[in-house]
Amino acid sequence: MQPRRQRLPAPWSGPRGPRPTAPLLALLLLLAPVAAPAGSGDPDDPGQPQDAGVPRRLLQQAARAALHFFNFRSGSPSALRVLAEVQEGRAWINPKEGCKVHVVFSTERYNPEEGEGRLGKCSARVFFKNQKPRPTINVTCTRLIEKKKRQQEDYLLYKQMKQLKNPLEIVSIPDNHGHIDPSLRLIWDLAFLGSSYVMWEMTTQVSHYYLAQLTSVRQWKTNDDTIDFDYTVLLHELSTQEIIPCRIHLVWYPGKPLKVKYHCQELQTPEEASGTEEGSAVVPTELSNF
Amino acid sequence: MQGTPGGGTRPGPSPVDRRTLLVFSFILAAALGQMNFTGDQVLRVLAKDEKQLSLLGDLEGLKPQKVDFWRGPARPSLPVDMRVPFSELKDIKAYLESHGLAYSIMIKDIQVLLDEERQAMAKSRRLERSTNSFSYSSYHTLEEIYSWIDNFVMEHSDIVSKIQIGNSFENQSILVLKFSTGGSRHPAIWIDTGIHSREWITHATGIWTANKIVSDYGKDRVLTDILNAMDIFIELVTNPDGFAFTHSMNRLWRKNKSIRPGIFCIGVDLNRNWKSGFGGNGSNSNPCSETYHGPSPQSEPEVAAIVNFITAHGNFKALISIHSYSQMLMYPYGRLLEPVSNQRELYDLAKDAVEALYKVHGIEYIFGSISTTLYVASGITVDWAYDSGIKYAFSFELRDTGQYGFLLPATQIIPTAQETWMALRTIMEHTLNHPY
Repeated sequence: MQPRRQRLPAPWSGPRGPRPTAPLLALLLLLAPVAAPAGSGDPDDPGQPQDAGVPRRLLQQAARAALHFFNFRSGSPSALRVLAEVQEGRAWINPKEGCKVHVVFSTERYNPEEGEGRLGKCSARVFFKNQKPRPTINVTCTRLIEKKKRQQEDYLLYKQMKQLKNPLEIVSIPDNHGHIDPSLRLIWDLAFLGSSYVMWEMTTQVSHYYLAQLTSVRQWKTNDDTIDFDYTVLLHELSTQEIIPCRIHLVWYPGKPLKVKYHCQELQTPEEASGTEEGSAVVPTELSNF
Repeated sequence: MQGTPGGGTRPGPSPVDRRTLLVFSFILAAALGQMNFTGDQVLRVLAKDEKQLSLLGDLEGLKPQKVDFWRGPARPSLPVDMRVPFSELKDIKAYLESHGLAYSIMIKDIQVLLDEERQAMAKSRRLERSTNSFSYSSYHTLEEIYSWIDNFVMEHSDIVSKIQIGNSFENQSILVLKFSTGGSRHPAIWIDTGIHSREWITHATGIWTANKIVSDYGKDRVLTDILNAMDIFIELVTNPDGFAFTHSMNRLWRKNKSIRPGIFCIGVDLNRNWKSGFGGNGSNSNPCSETYHGPSPQSEPEVAAIVNFITAHGNFKALISIHSYSQMLMYPYGRLLEPVSNQRELYDLAKDAVEALYKVHGIEYIFGSISTTLYVASGITVDWAYDSGIKYAFSFELRDTGQYGFLLPATQIIPTAQETWMALRTIMEHTLNHPY
């Protein structure tokens, strides 16, 4: 993959301002039966950057997995983050054990407020155990929002959620044209938070997930001390292009750890794959994480 | 239907009458041209073992058809989804129950869902009709796009014409727009959008691009030079059946809608059906898979139509296939990690194209070969094009990188199309300046 190329200043300078150039550093690949492209690059031009696409893609995927985990662990629908840019990383691939990735990346808020352009920075160690899901993740990020402010925002969201008219009549979010009604935004954010847990758990070295759509709300209960949310989503897995329906049940209260149970429809494995009964992502049907 | 107990003194509705009524109402519905799904349900059935699975399979063979499989019987552990018309519900449920097949109701009334969708779309259509022009910043149905094509060709008949290159599996016309300033068999550039039906941003970008070409001809020096020497062909709806399905039933449908006897799942991934490394890694022989390559190369009419057209033409110099999402610009191979012979040239061209794209709205694309940038995929369009001698073969993955994914908000249509245009223009210009 090409290294980070020099940015020409954008004619339109967004809230972020001109981007700092951050060359991709120290890309080491040990124990190489990884799919290093044979004869990649132009032999006539030693200056040509290595078309080492696998490590680059791996870094992005590791960063996303780390963010799923980070978002879940933060338990905060107002502090959700998305990947901005991978800055540097290394990968160690051991055919017997799996794949370890160390990656540094920048993030931005999932819901940026007007004029806010701050980029957070994260450093993560991600260990994919040989095609098994639930990668081990160690991630730390710089703070994007003040802790107190985050708690306040969460509590505000909680109060807004309690005001919602029950039963929620929801067909899908976003709708088929990609539109999310502002009044439904907080439901989407909470659904995304729960889905982050599911997506982290299901991620493997080859399987990577995105949240495509919230398709129904089965139950929405607001009590004095929790929001009880039972819903279904569609996840999109990139390498197989499959759409996976999942039912998720979460319990949330600002400041408390998020509790999630879920069940996703089994992945369809190709006939010629290994003879295991279950798909490549074996998901537990229940998890109580505390 | 049993006779009434205790003798036949009380007349009940005879089976003949009931059937006649049913037939009559079907005819009426057909005559009115309206498909009504009121009361139709989608049931999800979980078969416990092979025996139960084959019982489900039996349902499929029934003539006339009683159920419509959305997800056909494949393996016992996998759910089977089927649409059951209202009139068949009682019988089908009785069948399931009598054989101990557990089922749940996934959609209680399909018509309700459809009505809601149609209301939303009618709302947007009303707005368009009142402004008396086609809205480039909305998503459209197949009918609307085909209607726009006719208008567009009429308004710009000096440079644009419409060619039908074939028919889809469900017998929908497959249309291509030809942009030409004359001459016979000018070297040509091919652009296709919508080969995967759920990637709505691609059709929308294609439409905007078509309009951009006619607007800029005579004004933009680069585009004018290109069109004076070359022809441009754009296939806007490369997968019409799939596209119609994303509007009517399943917004996230990817494949075409081909059906084969004895095969329970529907559809072939049109971007795995080409004759280049067909059936290799990164494609799937399981018909239920989203990347099912089909029974044989070019087995799908939508792919065969393009192959035949491009081959017969014989003078295509560039081919660009547009997808979403991921924000990438890529070149062959998808099926191999090995680079193509002009990898250096394609790398540099992609780099320039992506820079040009970035300058419009600051959106970052990554670039490289398909196999090293996205994933290994076999039987894909651009690999076939390259192997057929088309040196400049590119594949786009448009916005975004996952926040909305396939459901990209309509507000992003024009910005996406604007930036993509600059990349397309860069590639076309290079093709013009490097004849072969």
